[in-house]
Amino acid sequence: MYRLALNMLFGDRAKLAMLLCGLAFSALLMAQQSSVFFGIMSWTYTPMVNIRAQVWVSDPMVEQVNDAKPLRDTDLSRVRSVDGVAWVAPLHTSFVQARMQDGNFKLITLVGIDADTFAGAPALLTQGRIEDLRLPDTVIVDEWGASLMGRMGVGPDGKPRSTPLKVGDTFEINDIQARIVGICKVKRAFTGGPFVYTTYDRAKGYTLGARRTLSFMLVEPQKGVTPTELCGRIERDTGLKAWTSDTVIWNWGERSLARNTFWWFWTNTGIPFSFGTAVLLGLFVGIAISGQTFYSFVLENLKYFAAIKAMGAGMGVIARMLFVQAFTAGLIGFGLGAGMAQGIGRAMIEKGMPPFVMYPQILWATFVLVLGISFVSAIIGIIKVSRVDAASVFRG
Amino acid sequence: MSPPTPPIAVRASGVDMFFGTPDNQVVALKQADFEARRGELIMLVGPSGCGKTTLLSVIAGTLTPQAGSVEVFGQRLDGLGQEELTSFRRKNLGFVFQSFNLIPTLSVIENVMVPLLIQGRPYDEAHARAGAIIEKVGLKGREEGRPNALSGGQQQRVAIARALVHEPPLLICDEPTSALDKDTGAQIMQMVRDLSRSPERCVVVVTHDHRIFRFADRIAEMEDGRISRVVDDPKLLETAHL
Ligand SMILES: Nc1ncnc2c1ncn2[C@@H]1O[C@H](COP(=O)(O)OP(=O)(O)O)[C@@H](O)[C@H]1O
Ligand SMILES: [Mg+2]
Repeated sequence: MYRLALNMLFGDRAKLAMLLCGLAFSALLMAQQSSVFFGIMSWTYTPMVNIRAQVWVSDPMVEQVNDAKPLRDTDLSRVRSVDGVAWVAPLHTSFVQARMQDGNFKLITLVGIDADTFAGAPALLTQGRIEDLRLPDTVIVDEWGASLMGRMGVGPDGKPRSTPLKVGDTFEINDIQARIVGICKVKRAFTGGPFVYTTYDRAKGYTLGARRTLSFMLVEPQKGVTPTELCGRIERDTGLKAWTSDTVIWNWGERSLARNTFWWFWTNTGIPFSFGTAVLLGLFVGIAISGQTFYSFVLENLKYFAAIKAMGAGMGVIARMLFVQAFTAGLIGFGLGAGMAQGIGRAMIEKGMPPFVMYPQILWATFVLVLGISFVSAIIGIIKVSRVDAASVFRG
Repeated sequence: MSPPTPPIAVRASGVDMFFGTPDNQVVALKQADFEARRGELIMLVGPSGCGKTTLLSVIAGTLTPQAGSVEVFGQRLDGLGQEELTSFRRKNLGFVFQSFNLIPTLSVIENVMVPLLIQGRPYDEAHARAGAIIEKVGLKGREEGRPNALSGGQQQRVAIARALVHEPPLLICDEPTSALDKDTGAQIMQMVRDLSRSPERCVVVVTHDHRIFRFADRIAEMEDGRISRVVDDPKLLETAHL
């Protein structure tokens, strides 16, 4: 009977297409909306991804990574003396105006890293070498920023076109020259601007006015000391705040700065609300559409299920037929929808457009939801068929 | 000496069937008695609304009457639960409906396989048996097509194949010819007669189509929810005027 159940499902191509469209669209909506939501939320802790260190230390008042409260340079040696610390490196982050060669200003994220250890340096350079940062007046710019800051000109086709900055190009930060010696690939941030890496000492120069420039300290634990353990010791010995740097959303610990940043944005901004409602809307619309399409499929076949029932099929058999149909449609619909969501996500990322993080968990959740919807629809169908009077087959 | 009366296949006695609420009650069957014998084709005739379909449903075990007893091939239906009734229908009944009730998204042969698959027979066996009976109803070559691609008469032949594929002892047909023209209706009845004739089988046909009365062995007339008379005189049947 299951083979017939499937043939019933696949027998009407037009209706099957409608059903699959409904299911696929809702899967797409759910996966897509949640991926964009988590993508946006992941942008809030982008520095944690781009600047890699096991332990971050900040002023005790700091709540999230984008809001640095400057430390004293002497704090470096205080942390260095904590038991279990292998090394400590300074980190500067700030937003400053950069003046392009054409005279335009751009807001950039200036990152100053320790010139000795290069702790916090970008992981992937597509042009140049990190060591060249030791040369005078040098910076490394991220790829996307390089095109943002690119020079406007006229392309071969006569249309205005921006040429991305490349190694050797220069601009100015607070009237001090910045010469590009490398292009790196980093994750985009919620706050927008290009990432411009330089050395910690030069960052001091670029931000002349600032009295204190130490935003965070990056700390490496000694072998055998866990980051969490070390955080406890640093906080106890120095009174500063210490954070772990785990960024894996379903696995991050209490002390994770990424996690605290995520929740800070969650409670202090409208992002989760506005995007959360979009996700919920996607969910509701998805549930409504797929539930409705499967339900109408069942209604259209009610007459035939009644005939099958009259001919002596028990409710057990009919229930299993409906489950086979619902889950098959659900599986295919989910596959199509998730595939489309992934495709759209890829396209978006390629264009450097909105954030999109499709965690496997999102796919799983969508899978469970779509199959849940199929399950509920099948149950409703089964109730419908069980209420149908077998005698009704003689009418009309 | 008259030949021995064939044993009873279906016996319904004192059957009451009401629909609706107590204040707004429709009496469909009232103290109805009905008998059908093994090996015969009996027709249930009467004006619209007199209770033919209801009596057929009671015999088929798709409706449970409020009173009376029903016995089909020695099996008492009153007192059976839904599951037992379902299993009774699966084993003992073949259905032919006025509106064919073929599943449009399945092929002809798959439609005919349904009763066998419901019985849990393997797909291949069901396929072979369905193919054989489709040939008998003269539709060889149309197995893989859709029912909707067939004419009304052909669709009813598919329905007959489906009703007989599992060789049920009781075949019930509700207005099998009323959606068909005269000649097609006669062909269908001829086919029902030819294929279902067996000393062990009983065929009950509900109809108000007098043009097919001549195919009956006996005719039970209904009026106001009960059998008013049973005609078994071949001459009366032949004239088709009761
Ligand atoms: N499910 C039902 N609910 C209410 N009334 C019904 C139902 N089925 C049949 N009836 C009524 O019972 C009577 C007999 O119906 P039916 O057996 O269908 O007659 P026939 O088949 O002889 O035309 C009619 O008055 C009809 O309206
Ligand atoms: Mg009727």
